[in-house]
Amino acid sequence: MKTALPDGLIVVAKADCPTCRLAEPLLAELSARAGPLTVYVQDSAEYAAELPGTLYDATLEHSYRLGIEFVPTLIRVEGGVEVQRTYGWHKEDWRQLSGVTDLGEDLPVMRPGCGSKTLEPGIAEELELAFGDIRLQSREIDFSTVDDPFEACFERGWSDGLPVVPPTPVRVLRMLKGTQRKPDEVVGLMPPDLVPCTVEKVAINAVLAGCKPEYMPVLLAALEAALTDEFGLHGLICTTMFGSPLIIVNGPAARAVGMNSGVNALGQGNRANATIGRALQLIIRNVGGGRPGEIDRATLGNPGKYSFCFAEAEDSEWLPLAQERGIEPGRSAVTLFPGEGVQGIVDQKSRDPESLARSFALSLRAVDHAKLAMAGDAVLVVSPEHARVFIDAGWSKQRLREELDRLLLAPGKELVAGAGGITEGIPERFKDMQVPKFRPGGLLIVRAGGTAGLFSAIIAGWAASGPVGSSAVTREVNT
Amino acid sequence: MHDIADLESRQIPGVGVASSEFIEAAALQSRALGFDPAMVFVPHPIQDRTDEEMRALADAALADILRLLCAEEGDTSG
Amino acid sequence: MNENRVLDPTAEQAPAQRARLPRPTSVEGKVVGLLDISKPRGDVFLDRIEEQLAAMGIQVKRYAKPTFTRIAPTELKQRMAAEVDLLVEGLAD
Repeated sequence: MKTALPDGLIVVAKADCPTCRLAEPLLAELSARAGPLTVYVQDSAEYAAELPGTLYDATLEHSYRLGIEFVPTLIRVEGGVEVQRTYGWHKEDWRQLSGVTDLGEDLPVMRPGCGSKTLEPGIAEELELAFGDIRLQSREIDFSTVDDPFEACFERGWSDGLPVVPPTPVRVLRMLKGTQRKPDEVVGLMPPDLVPCTVEKVAINAVLAGCKPEYMPVLLAALEAALTDEFGLHGLICTTMFGSPLIIVNGPAARAVGMNSGVNALGQGNRANATIGRALQLIIRNVGGGRPGEIDRATLGNPGKYSFCFAEAEDSEWLPLAQERGIEPGRSAVTLFPGEGVQGIVDQKSRDPESLARSFALSLRAVDHAKLAMAGDAVLVVSPEHARVFIDAGWSKQRLREELDRLLLAPGKELVAGAGGITEGIPERFKDMQVPKFRPGGLLIVRAGGTAGLFSAIIAGWAASGPVGSSAVTREVNT
Repeated sequence: MHDIADLESRQIPGVGVASSEFIEAAALQSRALGFDPAMVFVPHPIQDRTDEEMRALADAALADILRLLCAEEGDTSG
Repeated sequence: MNENRVLDPTAEQAPAQRARLPRPTSVEGKVVGLLDISKPRGDVFLDRIEEQLAAMGIQVKRYAKPTFTRIAPTELKQRMAAEVDLLVEGLAD
């Protein structure tokens, strides 16, 4: 809102600032000889109180709109528009700007000013919310009579069972500064209720989750990926099966926000891993309406539904997942996968790639059920020590994948329903074929984990893979 | 009212009974709790009523109490 | 940090307040708890409510807070939650 400034001179001061006090006696002279003079005082009604143009700027609205950084600031206004300003006390500048050539004769040549009250910690954002251009559209909820804001958030059903950070307007404003996107931009329709999810709603849930503002671009990319048709988020939320979105991060952004790709990569303790994954889950809950016992009818679920997010350990000769999936080197990206949990593979004896690949293949058979095939996809998380076995033998990820595809073919007759005395199994018509465990492209390989440990892991995917359910989706991280 | 709110969070639907003097206070409490419990208000005063009068108040309140304990035709959970 | 207001993280399709629990279609077969907040005369009121409910064939359990000046003790709340299906609390004045 640009209203015209009062013509003449404007001085912005703090009674608390020695330099402003130094200049105070001059103001009467300026008012008389160079007027009209408007004085905005940031902190007191006692400064230059005798002058007609003095105003106690208690709300700091005037100081905010004038963009005051230091006090005293002297501004000349002509035709309602600022033409020149100076700050601190500089005799020459004040004389020139005011046109009073003998102003402050017995004052020193210069004195530095003080910081404006508008820039004090906590105040800047409150002012921006009150007087700035930003318009937050979410409903405000009155917490003024609430005894404990953390309990109140629990009571309103916003939590995943763990405490959430109360989303005050200042916290949300700070979170929004982590992205260049506008708060009212719609990222997509959030299932299961199919409600438009704005960047503002993402920021509010990011605050709940405990994110830092710099995580916003990664979170927004993850949300975009999750909302693609291919990822099938609606079905994933409603399933009675285990799955929920897993976020794998590649590229410089992972390191820049301090994500963990090493020791305990799939576990707790890293704020970025924990809160980015959690924010996505809270958005599903709070914006989308996906809550356990309601639309979410998972029989067992999995702990990843609190948060499941990690970065790939890329410092190796293996091609990072995102690059395998078409992202340019040097760019950051997230891959969303409908993950179900973590199954460990212990192999501390294999020293050659063939043996280790056989270990992996045998363990991978168990995804969904050892007798099922072409159902769920899977992510194979290869630890650095295991990866070394392949890398030292010159095997790329692709080479490993081809070996696994070969090893994961099984005779249909062993897998059909009823075979082995187990009623579960694949349809009879496959009994004479060699059946692959995974659909083409259904096996993703990433490298992650601490550098000590001959253990890798399988993250099984939702049994409904592909067009009937969910496929992994990779999305570049922007701002 | 806090107790009703707490029991509802333990999956027990509840109804509070209070004197009409309590109506405004109940509205304020409800805002603070973020929850508006089902309430039946009986005419003030309470303290100096005879037993006969208290029993009459109970008889008069019974229908409202039962109504708020059950779902009506087409009722949403409000 | 001023925590007097927060922004709604939901899709705002529901009122800002928590909704009441869904009610059963009838009290038949339900156990109704009567919680006396222990203000004077409240017991006479609840005695009559109990009489009326019993006459309708409804099972009633009686409870009392130690004092009306505090919320019910946790142990009492847990016990009621385990023993009743519905609760009436009174009489506040």
